[in-house]
Amino acid sequence: MIENIIAGFSSIFAVGPILAIISGIFIGITFGAIPGISAIMAIAIILPLTFYVDPIIGITMLLAVYKAGIYGGSISAILINTPGAAASFLTALDGYALTKKGQGLKALNVSLLSSVTGEALATLVLIFVAAPISVISLQAGPIEKVFLLLFAFTVIGSLSGDSIPRGLLSCALGMLFAMVGLSTITGASRFTFDIPQLIGGFTFTPMLIGVLVMPEVINVVKRRRIKQEVIRIGDSSRPEDNKFSFKEYKSVFPTILKSTGIGTFIGALPGLGSSTAAFIAYSEAKRTSKEPEKFGEGSVEGIASAESANNAVCGSSLIPMLTLSIPGDDVAALLMGAFLIHGLTPGPLIFTESPQIIYAIFAGFLLTDLFLFFIAKAGFRVFTKIASLKRYYIFPCVTVFAFTGAFTAGQNMYDVLVLIMFMVLGYSMRLVGLNPAVFIIGFILTPFLEQNLDQALAIVGNDYYLFFASPFSWVFTALAIFFVYSSFHIKKKIKKNIVLPADKAITKS
Amino acid sequence: MDRRKIDVIMASVLIVVGVIILKNDNLSVGGVESSLGSLFLPRIVALFIIGLSAIIGIQSLLKIRKKQIQEGDEIINLSGFLGVNLYVAIFIAYWFLTPYVGFLITTPVIMLSIAFLLGGRNWWIMIPVSIITAFVVFYGCRHFLRVFLPTWSLS
Repeated sequence: MIENIIAGFSSIFAVGPILAIISGIFIGITFGAIPGISAIMAIAIILPLTFYVDPIIGITMLLAVYKAGIYGGSISAILINTPGAAASFLTALDGYALTKKGQGLKALNVSLLSSVTGEALATLVLIFVAAPISVISLQAGPIEKVFLLLFAFTVIGSLSGDSIPRGLLSCALGMLFAMVGLSTITGASRFTFDIPQLIGGFTFTPMLIGVLVMPEVINVVKRRRIKQEVIRIGDSSRPEDNKFSFKEYKSVFPTILKSTGIGTFIGALPGLGSSTAAFIAYSEAKRTSKEPEKFGEGSVEGIASAESANNAVCGSSLIPMLTLSIPGDDVAALLMGAFLIHGLTPGPLIFTESPQIIYAIFAGFLLTDLFLFFIAKAGFRVFTKIASLKRYYIFPCVTVFAFTGAFTAGQNMYDVLVLIMFMVLGYSMRLVGLNPAVFIIGFILTPFLEQNLDQALAIVGNDYYLFFASPFSWVFTALAIFFVYSSFHIKKKIKKNIVLPADKAITKS
Repeated sequence: MDRRKIDVIMASVLIVVGVIILKNDNLSVGGVESSLGSLFLPRIVALFIIGLSAIIGIQSLLKIRKKQIQEGDEIINLSGFLGVNLYVAIFIAYWFLTPYVGFLITTPVIMLSIAFLLGGRNWWIMIPVSIITAFVVFYGCRHFLRVFLPTWSLS
């Protein structure tokens, strides 16, 4: 493994990947900092640009956009109390309180250092844990994989949705849309209704942009009459209000470490995502803090816990994707799509089939943290200026990028039509409480399920009891039941503890 | 708007779709024999869709009948929806016009329409931005990505 890591670093230290990381960080922070644009939107828009470059450059750039985008979300949360994503809600709570006291720059510094520390530690866990897990998961045959995928569908559907039936329904709808077109197993054309364009199924990129990105643009259009706040860093005359000293960093380091652990663990479980990680880490930090009364009133510890936890999810959410072929959340689903487009199938085999690429990507992931720290630190004021641009300059450009991105997928206007249809579908899904991210995960995983189910049936023949002969079957069935049961409790607890103000939480929870 | 009513309509539609998938053999054409069959998984998914839709629909129907007070998520705020419809209409026009008028001409017009919809009136900046964006995207795609966006064609 060590040789692979060294080889990975040697591949990443080239002009192309480093330029990709730097531009990815710029794009990510800028998009993340703009209220109404999230990291996932940035990745989806950049995705088509990466089709035409080397996978190391393309995927490293997307990962840089992801990490920087998650961090960028905290800029608008801290400075104008507008979290770009639900995960930044707690950062806004304490960060904005500090901004009001004239300590906005300090809050930004706390957020940056906590984010980078959380991300870097979680990435190290990813590097050292993913390969050994993949060795175990290589032992799984088609029967085990079927149960694993059913477990993933159940967990993601029940934990990510607005309610359990709605989450599972979102997943089922995604599965249904995935089955449109030629069956990869039988060659039959399903649900095509004699429309030739449907034979190939729905193109992934336009569908993805339509379901995940465009509803966010529509949200901005819907809220267009709400006055746009100007993002500004309020400087304090006292130097200690503008910086986050090493002494202060040392004092909150145990909190960062614990929150990173929580974020890494939650991120590695499919379906929970960064919001849950941030909420749990924040509650835990508050519970064990010497000054719990400061939480919500401008606590440095509060920002550090929320930011390190939600950024730790970035690295660890790739663990289920790279070891079990299961994307843990919407961003992982999107990245899985990017891997597939680049000819890499995420899963245990990736470590034996393309070690040089995967370890180069890991090295790029670590390098991103370093660059993110310096670029963000040097450019606080530049990024806040860019994020303050009026929405009538930004969103027409986003529309053009979405249009071009959809067209790029197949160089035809049919894909743009797919984008429009899924834009309407994605927005309608949000209105009725269905989860578009779960829909995408259902869409991506269904071909794997169908293939493994077919192989499993061929193995068992008429002896259906063989499905339950493996201990894996029982373990995954039990885990699925446990997760559905525990998701009731998690949702109840989160609802009880935190009530998101509708006006501030721009995107989905 | 009451989301529970939409839930009932959505559930009814999805149940009908599910039943059609279960009953109609013509939804799959051609293909070879396999252990699984072409419509096995779609039908399993259809069963789930029927069951889950029924749960959502019945829950909402009961709440409507009991005249329960709507909770936060159950109210759909319709303010600003005219803008949403206009945005979708602009996007459809973008898709429809681009093959005839070309990307370079359609894009600035569409960008200006969206900017206007979002409250932009600063024409001296908006016009150059829209033209420059269209050119940069068009030639960027052509030279760096080898993607040829539609050009003017009335044929």
